[in-house]
Order: sequence, then structure tokens, then C-alpha cells
Amino acid sequence: MENTHVVKNDSSLISRVLKSKEIYFLILPGVIWFLIFAYVPMYGLSLAFKTYKANLGIFGSPWIGLENFTYVFRDPAFLESVWRTLWINLGRILFQFPFPILLALLLNELRMNRYKKAIQTVYTFPHFLSWIIVSSVLINSLDMQGLVNGIIRLLGGDPVNFLGNTQIFRPLLYITDNWKSAGWTMIIYLAAITGIDTEQYESAQLDGATRLQIMRYITLPGIQSTIVVMLILTVGNLMNSGFDQIFNISNAATAKAGEILDMYIYRITFQSAADFSFSSAVSLFRSVINFALLLFADRVCKWLGAEGLFPSMKKKVKVQR
Amino acid sequence: MNKLAKSLSLVLITAMMMFVFTACSDNTKNESNSPSVTPSSESNSTPAPQASDGDNDGNWKPQTDLSKKVKFSYASVQGIEGFDYTKGDPLAQYYSEKFNYEMDVAALNWDNWSERLRIWINSGDMPDVAVYNYNHADAASFVEQGLIKRFPDDWKTRWPNVAAVFDKTSIGPQMEQTFGGTYFIPRARFMNNLPGDPLPNHPSLFLRKDWAEAVGFPIKTTYTTSEVMEFAQLIKEQDPGNAGNKLIPIAENTTHAVDLFVARNSTHFNKFYKDTDGTYKWGGASEDTLKGLKLFSEAYRSGLMSQDFYTVKNEEHGSFFNVQGIAGATFFQAPTSALQQFYDDFQANIGTDPYDNIQMATVLGDDGNYHQYDLINYWGAIIFSPNIKDEVFERYMDILDYNATLEGNTILNMGIENVDWAYESDGTTVKSLYDQAKEGKPLGGATGKYPSMGYLLGSTILFDDFAFDNPNTTKSLRDLSKQLYTERTQVATPDSFAKVDWELFAYDSPSFRRAQMDYYTEYANIVTQSGDIEENWRKWVDSKMSIIQPVLDELNSTLGN
Repeated sequence: MENTHVVKNDSSLISRVLKSKEIYFLILPGVIWFLIFAYVPMYGLSLAFKTYKANLGIFGSPWIGLENFTYVFRDPAFLESVWRTLWINLGRILFQFPFPILLALLLNELRMNRYKKAIQTVYTFPHFLSWIIVSSVLINSLDMQGLVNGIIRLLGGDPVNFLGNTQIFRPLLYITDNWKSAGWTMIIYLAAITGIDTEQYESAQLDGATRLQIMRYITLPGIQSTIVVMLILTVGNLMNSGFDQIFNISNAATAKAGEILDMYIYRITFQSAADFSFSSAVSLFRSVINFALLLFADRVCKWLGAEGLFPSMKKKVKVQR
Repeated sequence: MNKLAKSLSLVLITAMMMFVFTACSDNTKNESNSPSVTPSSESNSTPAPQASDGDNDGNWKPQTDLSKKVKFSYASVQGIEGFDYTKGDPLAQYYSEKFNYEMDVAALNWDNWSERLRIWINSGDMPDVAVYNYNHADAASFVEQGLIKRFPDDWKTRWPNVAAVFDKTSIGPQMEQTFGGTYFIPRARFMNNLPGDPLPNHPSLFLRKDWAEAVGFPIKTTYTTSEVMEFAQLIKEQDPGNAGNKLIPIAENTTHAVDLFVARNSTHFNKFYKDTDGTYKWGGASEDTLKGLKLFSEAYRSGLMSQDFYTVKNEEHGSFFNVQGIAGATFFQAPTSALQQFYDDFQANIGTDPYDNIQMATVLGDDGNYHQYDLINYWGAIIFSPNIKDEVFERYMDILDYNATLEGNTILNMGIENVDWAYESDGTTVKSLYDQAKEGKPLGGATGKYPSMGYLLGSTILFDDFAFDNPNTTKSLRDLSKQLYTERTQVATPDSFAKVDWELFAYDSPSFRRAQMDYYTEYANIVTQSGDIEENWRKWVDSKMSIIQPVLDELNSTLGN
């Protein structure tokens, strides 16, 4: 008989690292990369509390406390951009997050391998196009003299101002982002599906389960942990909202509808007199909110019974009785 | 399930393939045909344009030993990406051999010019030499932080021709006084042919004269904004050019649309200003700005402009007029030096005589006055990296000094002596030897004989000064351009065409820097919103007051009465 007990692993961190030093050695390049490119540059965050002087450098620039933040919160455009970013990204979770899962489930049902690979390639290809190219295509297709309005005119309809309508702007963001990135994200779910034990499918087929039932009761639960991790990461990124996409698609008419936090930072940093300290303050604020959202999503997922991003340090061990 | 999956996949694949196909296809609808090869000159000789009062011609001597080759990096807008500005054409070669240099050019475009230079300068990575889109708030910050080179105190005596141009710009000496030294060499729009003080800007209305005559619209050289809209309405109703559903009565992009409607009615639409009562006010909140916005909104909502004018990039709207022939009018760039090309393109693409079918005009506010804030006699300033080697700095100053002489300025504008132009026997008159019909291409420009021709080869005097006398441009066009400049100074009051307020120009503070905004995008956004235009404008003004009011308070307490 087998019982599972949760027991504390009493050995110290150092002794555990030494014991598995070969395995830890493998993650060393990753750790170094993170230290150099993610942690060391964090000293630049101090700019949020300074007045940046290029000739004095980041360390030499004078401290000004929370003055930059005072100004940030005085600007109504900042708070508007925060809410706009959140709304746009909540929409992304609703309309974009499920799409690659759906694609992966459907693709998994295809039996002809060659056809499956061809479709997968076609879905993945747009990921490699830059937003500059995609937006050029979009503008040329959707402008008043473009392909789509040409077809509408041929059919006797009135042309639609797709590019300047703030009501259409958000759906346009979701559709184009789905077109561009769903195929790429789908690969992650497809990989998770291939990890599901095939015996489960065989048993289900023997029991007479339909394909829809197999998808519902075997495939979906099998990739649940992947979906949860992806969801947590998406929530943790709620304050970043696809700068490349919005920068290239928005225009003067949709400038307000598209002024997400990243666009706001871009505007105050590069479209007026440069103020790097001010933009650092906004960026720091964004990072803190993102981090809080990440922790929040992780807790909610755990509360709902999923494992979350940071599994418990308590180790599950099997004890033979 | 399999069938459903297959059907869905097919639909999605078809949609994706359509996008990819569109992505890979050429967008040729706005491409220009090759420029016209019509002879452009009515008179092929002209009195030699004068450059600065300093040394010129054979008397000019460099300040440095030219025997040692120097290399330098250079950044400017309007460069040709990938072109070899050292040896790419005979003109570039002439300069690089004469001054023994190798130049590595970073060609910036209108969209990234200011921001990329700003990043380079702030990060200490600026090229040796750059043409900077002068913005006082940034400039003050650069100077304060030592991010650009301060000129040696004796530079004016060493390079007197550059110094003469510097004095003529008026902003040069002013900023020298403000910063306590020279950091910028503004480039003069005009050296000897200054058409007015305050200086009017060049953008003008290009109107289809043949269409105007067909709809019975009067031909004039000045129109109010409302008259332009009346013309557009007639064109929209009668479509005399049979453009069909492609017709755009007034073709604009965001910048020129705001220029045509808002700036032509509101002198201070994009700045702070001192009102007649001595207090400082914000142009965004002025009634004149509202008046301009109302006209803009009316034109947009009544279909006199393209419904997605704000998607027009790279000033493509000019080509709707002179290449595609689907626009009744366009308010567009009209520097004298570019008019010939604009007219030649019209002839080549539309197939009718541009001199008979284009009417150029000045646009006035609805009060009948020309509205503008002093352009100030400069455009862009030359700056140097603080890390530039002395020998490179001195060599480049030599180039600038030479090009400010009569000989240098003529070569820069007309090509190589005795190949493209020559002096008449009197030694003071220049005649053109360039025959565009024979050469089959224009003298300058990306497809021209000398793609390098222009200020990238080092100039402190811009083209329009020389263009007034350049025999390569049809005389009637030059005369028309002069007339438009002159009229603008005459159809104005001191309030509607305001002189620069140097105290305000040189003002700088953190609040002032943070109150800068892209007025063109802001106004276009207000106009394209649904709802009442006045209400939209008031909401916008209210939303900006938190960053505007601190500046007004500062200005009124430090500079106000």
C-alpha cells in the first residue's frame, strides 16, 4: 500500500545544491544572463527618484525624492492611460487568451499529419512578420480607398472608416493580434497535449467516448496546468499592452483610444523634451503593478486548486509503509 | 469533429493567406511616374547669387591643413539611406576630394529625426556632426549638461563666412547670448533675399485652376479658409475632373490639415503668448483656435477632406494632387526650390500644362488677415559632438565656410562649375549649362544626376535663398514664389503675424518642458471625435490645464507685467 505524506525536507539549501551540482551547473548560463541583463540594469530604476543629468550619469544625478511621482499623479493623462491599459488587456484575456487553446485542440483532432503540419506552419508564419509590415497591410487594406472598402463599394455599400473609428479600434487590436500570435502560442499547448498519456485516449475510445468527450474530459484537463501558468503570466503582464502593435496601428483619430501606458511613456520621453527621470517613475509604477498582479493571479489560481507559478516548497514524498 | 476542424482551418487559412498575399504585393497606387523632362528655364542666366560678405571664390583659404584625411559621422534628415555621400556621385566626390574627408551618413526620416537624435545626444552617442531640429527646451538641457560641443571663442574670426550667416539667422546671436557661448549654427533660410520680417512660411494652397474655372470659382492669389471650403464644396458637388469616388476635394495629412484650418486662423495655436493686456496665455485655449477647429471640423464632417486623412504618411497627400490627379486642392510644402519638381511631376503624371492648370495661393484666416508666428530665419541647426576631434571639427567648419561663399553656394545649388553652370563673360552672371531634357533626369534628388546635392554636403544657407535666382527654376515660378512671400507680409496685422518674443522663446523650466505636446495630433483628435466640436475642445482644454496652469503662473510671475 502506498501513502503520500507531506514532509519537510530538512537538508540545507547549500547541501542540496552540492548534492545535485551537475544539474545546478546546467542553469548557470541562465542565471548569469538574468543577472547581467535583468538584475544589474535595475540600478537604473533609481532614476525615478532623481533628476537625470546625462553628464553626471545615473549615479551622479541628484536625488529629488518623490517629486517625479507627484507630477505623474497630477497628470490626468497618466491615470487615463493606466485604466485604458487595464481595459484593453482584460479584453485580450477574454478574446485572445482562449483562441490558441481552441486552435491547439482543433489541430490535435486532425489525423492527416501532412495537412496538420501545413496548417501549423500557416498559423505560425504571421508571428515572424513585424508589426510595421502588418500595420502597413492593414492600413492599405482598410483605408477609405483600400481593398475592403473597394469590395464594400462594389457590393453597393457605403465605405466604412475602419482606421479612425474608436469603437472599431479595440476589436481591430484583438483580431490582428490573434491573427499574428495565436499560431505561435498554440505551439505551447500542442506541446502540452503531446505530453498526455496516450493510454487515457485508448481507454476512452474502448469505453465508447466521443471525440468531443475525449477533448472535454482528457485533453483539456491534461493541459490545465499549462493553461494556468499561461494565464498567470498574462495577468502579470496586464500593464504591458503591445506597444509595437498600438504604435503602428493608431493614428491621430485613435490616439486617445490607443494611449496605453507604454504609449504615454513613449510620448513623454520621446515626443517632448526628454525627461528620463519622469519616464522611469512611470515605468517603475508599471512594474510594481505588474508584479502585484502576478502575485494576485498566482494566489487566486492556488485558491482555486491549481498549482500556480510558485509551487509549495514543501516536498511531496512517497513513503512506503 | 474532424470535418468541423477542417472547415474552420480552411476558413482561417484563407483569411491568413489573404493577409500574407496583400503583405507581399506592391502598393503602387501612389507611385509617381518618372519626373518630367520639360525644359525648366525660361531664362538660362541670372545675376550670380551672393553668399556671405566674407571671402569668396579664389580668395577663400581653409583654416586647416587639408592634406590629412579625416573621417567623420554625420546624421541628418532627408539623407538617402545607403547612399555613399563620399563618392556616390561626382558632386559628392568633388567635395570629399577637395576637403579630403570620408563621411559616414546616418539618414534619418521625418518621423524619427528628432527622437533619434534626442536619444543619441542624451546617451552620449551622437555622431560627430548632426543637423538638429532646434527645440529650445531640449537645447537648453543639452547645453546645461555639456552634451554638445561649445565652439571655441575665436570661431567667428576663423570662419567669417559662417559667422555672417550666423548673424543673419537672428536666433544664432540670441541663443549665443542666452547660453553664454556658441553651441548651435542655425542654418539660414535666407541670406540675401529675406522676403520679410517677421518671416512668412512657405506652405501654400495648390488649387486646380482648370477645375476652379469649370465650376465658376474665382482665381486669386489669396483665399480665406472658408473660401477654400467653398471651392471644395463645388468640386465635391460637380466633380469637374471626373475623379469619381476617388475624389478628394482637399487633400491633406494631419500636419497640413491643422496648418490649413487652425494655424491660418490662430496665430498662437501651438504656443504660449503674451496677450495685449501683458499677461501670458495659452494658444490652445484661445477663441481663434476654436474658430479654426470649427472650420476644420466642418470640412471633415462634410466630406471635403478624406475621412482618413490622418493615415497619410510621408506627405503623400501632395501626390494626390500632382501625381494621381484626384485632389481639387492641397495645402502643401512650397519652398521655391521644390516648386519646379512639383510642377514637372504634375505635367508628367496628369499630362496637362501645370502653368495653366495650377493656381498657387496664400490662405488667410476668415478675418481676412494672414496668421502666423514669426518663422525666424532658420531651419535646423548644425551641432557637434562634445567628443569630436579638433581636426574633424575644424575641417567641417572649413566646408561650411567654403559653402557660404559665392562659389561654394553656387556649386552646392547648381552642380559642378563648367559642367552644370558657368560664369558669363562679365564674371558676375551665372548661366546654367544643365539641360534636363538632354540629361533625362533632374539635377538633384534621389533619382537625379547628383543624389548628394543638398545641405548634407555641408551648408549653412538653405536652398530658398539661392532658388529665388536659380536659372534652373522657371522664372515665372520664382516670381510667383516671391510674390506669395511678399503678399503674406502685406495682408497681415502686427497681431495676426506676430514677431518672435525672444524672452519667451528663451524661457525654460521643468514645467515648461513637460507642457510640450504634439498639437497637430491633439487637434486632429478633437476634430475626428463625435459630438459637438466646441464641447470637445473645452473638455480637451480642461484636461490639459493641470500641466498648462503651472507654466502660465511661472510666465506671468517671471516675465509678465
